[in-house]
Amino acid sequence: MSDAYVPHEFQYSSADHQAGTAVAGMWLFLATEVLFFGGLFLCWIYARTQNLAGFDAGARETELWIGTLNTGILLTSSLVYSTGVAFARIGDNRRLVQCCLGAIGLGLAFLVLKFGLEWSDDFAKHLWPVGPDFKFTGPIAGGARLFYVFYFIGTGLHGVHMVVGVFLVAMIAWRARRGEFSPAYTTPVEVVGMYWSFVDVVWIILYPLIYLIGRS
Amino acid sequence: MPPRLPRLLIAWVILLALLGIEFGASFLPLAPWPRVLILLPALAMAAIVGVVFMEVGRGPVVARGFAVAGLFWLLVLLGLGSMDPLTRTDYHTTVAHPE
Amino acid sequence: MSTTVVVETAELERSYLTDKVSIASWLLATDHKRIAILYLGSITFFFFIGGFAAALVRLNLLVPEGLIPSAETYNRLFTTHGVIMVWFFLVPAVPVTLGNFILPLMLGARDLAFPRLNLISWYLFMAGGAVELYALFIGGVDTGWTFYPPLSSTFSQGHVVLAVLGVFISGFSSIATGLNFIVTIHRLRAPGMTWYKMPIFVWSLYSTSVIFVLATPVLAITLLLLAFERIFRIGVFDPAIGGDPILFQHMFWFYSHPAVYIMILPGFGVISEIMPAFCRRRLFGYKFVAWASVSIAVISFFVWGHHMFVSGQSLYASVVFSLLSYAVAVPSAIKVFNWLGTMHKGYIRFDAPMLYALGFIGLFTIGGLTGLFVAALAADVHLTQTYFIVAHFHYVMVGGMVTAFFAGLHYWWPKITGRMYPEMWGRAGALIIFLGFNVTFAPQFLLGYLGMPRRYHSYPPDFQVLNVLSSAGATILAAGYLLPLFYLTWSLFRGERAPANPWGATGLEWQTPSPPPAKNFASTPVVTEPPYTYPPPELVQNRV
Repeated sequence: MSDAYVPHEFQYSSADHQAGTAVAGMWLFLATEVLFFGGLFLCWIYARTQNLAGFDAGARETELWIGTLNTGILLTSSLVYSTGVAFARIGDNRRLVQCCLGAIGLGLAFLVLKFGLEWSDDFAKHLWPVGPDFKFTGPIAGGARLFYVFYFIGTGLHGVHMVVGVFLVAMIAWRARRGEFSPAYTTPVEVVGMYWSFVDVVWIILYPLIYLIGRS
Repeated sequence: MPPRLPRLLIAWVILLALLGIEFGASFLPLAPWPRVLILLPALAMAAIVGVVFMEVGRGPVVARGFAVAGLFWLLVLLGLGSMDPLTRTDYHTTVAHPE
Repeated sequence: MSTTVVVETAELERSYLTDKVSIASWLLATDHKRIAILYLGSITFFFFIGGFAAALVRLNLLVPEGLIPSAETYNRLFTTHGVIMVWFFLVPAVPVTLGNFILPLMLGARDLAFPRLNLISWYLFMAGGAVELYALFIGGVDTGWTFYPPLSSTFSQGHVVLAVLGVFISGFSSIATGLNFIVTIHRLRAPGMTWYKMPIFVWSLYSTSVIFVLATPVLAITLLLLAFERIFRIGVFDPAIGGDPILFQHMFWFYSHPAVYIMILPGFGVISEIMPAFCRRRLFGYKFVAWASVSIAVISFFVWGHHMFVSGQSLYASVVFSLLSYAVAVPSAIKVFNWLGTMHKGYIRFDAPMLYALGFIGLFTIGGLTGLFVAALAADVHLTQTYFIVAHFHYVMVGGMVTAFFAGLHYWWPKITGRMYPEMWGRAGALIIFLGFNVTFAPQFLLGYLGMPRRYHSYPPDFQVLNVLSSAGATILAAGYLLPLFYLTWSLFRGERAPANPWGATGLEWQTPSPPPAKNFASTPVVTEPPYTYPPPELVQNRV
């Protein structure tokens, strides 16, 4: 840069500079989330290594069709929201709002299936891993309990992140309706999309760990 | 129609196909530890989401660095962290398992 | 010197301190300088709470049967000391005070990348601190700051869940600060400031921030699981159902070992700033020092198992961790040699910051070397969980880090407050702290070697002389830490007004008035020279 006087008012050198900084910040935040869930994955490794029979016995009781349907729902929600981002970049705010609502709808469908249907089924089948009522007894009970500890904590934490995501997407929809975004300014739309798709990625890893690997 | 849309749709179809592959693979009669390979289609799905939906290539270069760093450190946590249970010598107790 | 424009107008008599004076303008500040002051108040408060707990610990250890009648109370006291000092003083100390204040100035930036996130970070810290203080106030916890199950999950009568909740909340404050620093350093450097033109303090804050963002989330999930274990008895750490208590230790130390480097790396950065300024010489081996910081941050993640040699972890894992622990010592040693190289043929001034820095080098070296003793498997079997370990980590954390914090506080005090501290009192404080520290902790190496276990409320009578010596030293140390509280506060009202560059040092932070205006610089500085470009010694004048 030249020696010309640059007023020290605005701390970014351009709108692009600011947008890129927000994107970089979100990627760094997502890296912290990778480590957060990573700790949980380490628990999966320990529990399965040390209690293979019981762990997989627990895994066989999971509702494969709900898990698979939910995976499809989340993948579709990522598609829908990313489409919204694409519409935002060409200035079509109406389609952006529709895409946000679509993503929210799919996200809510996931939450209802997971917590309304699947979890209540799990409780009915005595799969809550704490207490004397647990479905499994005998030498495999410990491993099965640990599987369901991983299951409930993993899906619970993922669900919390989904709820936050639904709020964020709703905020984007609201701001889009107020006309705050344009092809020159889509940063919040993109950054929320990164978060939303990341929550999807967490589920993509959880799905086989919960529903597929132990099911033999 | 936004220029990105075809690419997003193709990625979505591939994701569903990979979902089908891992779903099908789960029915194969593999031994317990080789079953972990079912994670491979899942990792491919995660990569596609990261590249196509999260657009890891679009941000500043440093953003890609952050993504790589997150993955590298995850490998350290899981890899170095697994070293202990995988190399531990289990000394069996004489008391039977409580349950 | 870099070429900047320091505009001499009346506007600059207003500083970030005097611009707006309402309470709201402080509690809702997004100015990094004001947030640094808020944090300074907070960590000073926590330092004295943790210090008070330490005083009671040392008081108890005056007699072999323990002066405090209840061992349970003693356990709660040392836990309080550890939890407060680690998470509410040492981990934040330099980054959130000196880092927040000085980093944007050193980069020639207007503020951090995400100023509102910075304010949220302070509120998260205070929220965590409030929960922690409440947990301690209603009785505290007796598990030690390491919270190992099954004591913490099953048998402890203390308030474990509340105590870990406080730490959990404050962890998000760390992550936010680290994220802010990393993005700022990548994206908001002034024109012309390449990576190799940045001062070493920036490199060290970057390295610290890498650890903040990557290690702290693992602590978060660990403490969450511990809380669930205690509340719901989920059993993930309980061998009765197939869980593994050592899993907790792995996850806990995956964070806590890098955390000790969170604590020391900013201190290294401070010393790397003070050495050139008070020896009036370029920092010896700039690139080595810069990359040593980064390598410490990276390698620190590979060595956590050295806290677990006697835990039951696999012998092969222990060997690997021991080997890697020797590797992580190398970059630290490189830094020490580089500081000494900086001093060689320098024009050395023994102002307070330099006295603290010299104390740091001596005490950190002793602490670091004793770390190597315990990184050896065979030696550690005897020395672990004894006072040898206690002395080792206090030498690096207190003799090292707290000393470096005081060094930096004195060095940048004129910049932050616009006032000079009284130099004689500053030097006296540094010497009293050095003396008191050694009298307190050197005997503890002997006690540990002789076999006195740590975290024990009482001890065999043979150890009393060394314990009394240590407690006496603690009194001197306490006086040394209280002294700056008084004369620094005094200086706020009666200290000599500081010029922009009282030390005649290089660096962008000295190119703006003391204290700086709210916007930091009148115009964006342009950097053309590397850091630490001091003139040859024969041209050096007295302090401006």
